[in-house]
Amino acid sequence: MAPDQLFRFSIITTVGVLVTIVLGTITAALMEGRAVAKAFENMARQPSVADTIQALLLIVLAILESTAIYVLLVCLVFLFANPFSGVFGL
Amino acid sequence: MGIQDVFPKTLFTIYGIPVKDTVVHTSIVVAILSALAIWANGNFRTWDPPKWQLLLEYIVEYIENLIDNMGGRAFPDVVSFLTTMILFVGIANLLGALPVFQAPTRSLNTTIAFALVSLGATHYFGVKRQGGLEYLKSLASPVIMLPMNLLSMVSRTLSMALRLFGNIVAGEIIVAVFFMLLPVLGPLPMSLLSMLTSVLQALVFTVLTLVYIIDATGSMRGSSSSSEGTAEV
Repeated sequence: MAPDQLFRFSIITTVGVLVTIVLGTITAALMEGRAVAKAFENMARQPSVADTIQALLLIVLAILESTAIYVLLVCLVFLFANPFSGVFGL
Repeated sequence: MGIQDVFPKTLFTIYGIPVKDTVVHTSIVVAILSALAIWANGNFRTWDPPKWQLLLEYIVEYIENLIDNMGGRAFPDVVSFLTTMILFVGIANLLGALPVFQAPTRSLNTTIAFALVSLGATHYFGVKRQGGLEYLKSLASPVIMLPMNLLSMVSRTLSMALRLFGNIVAGEIIVAVFFMLLPVLGPLPMSLLSMLTSVLQALVFTVLTLVYIIDATGSMRGSSSSSEGTAEV
């Protein structure tokens, strides 16, 4: 593979990974913010169940967080173990 | 410690089979937990309990409360399985915070093994509580749902494994990047954050396993005719 082609492949991969991780984390962060806002609203409205809501909120946040983690995994695969690199004989 | 240390290395080979360091570290966790269990089994007191016994009882009671909150019944075998799972995954995640060791869950193979254990336990408890034929029937209660159920087994096992792996690897990579930028005190806050994530992910792994077990065993709350297990909280 020519060095020019390798250069272009690396640039395209890096730009694609950057765009992917920005878009993926934006959606995850927005939805987590909505969940936290609703939880705090209801904790203020009913302080008697605040402990239950807080315990559930941590678990739900960890599950929501994993969508952003999936995006990171895809990005890591395309950075370190690109499945299309074999096509170009890298 | 560079970014290459995040990925597992081959320590030695047995008959041509490479043994990664994650296998060695998982064995260390198994040894720690087995020694703790054997030692605690001989040394517990019912009167005037020592502090470590109170800590272990707190963990078991926490699991029992969790099962009760999720709408299940705290059978002794489910409680002991879930307590073992949260201790094992938690210690395996937190092992990366120690100087020499590294977390074995930063390899995808380890987390897939954990998720397969969780899947097997789901079927085991489902067959044990409902009976084999009843459990198979409940998988295909409307027949149209049978492929959906089979597909959900694959997808939830994969998602549990990827979630644990991704969280631990993300923590390790962030710590490695901060170490490259500012080696002295830079990684400290990120390390604390990844320790919090480790404990939380062990809890999430256990809670998801619990939810699937409750789903497989049917509504355990109504079946109070079963003579076994009276540890209802």
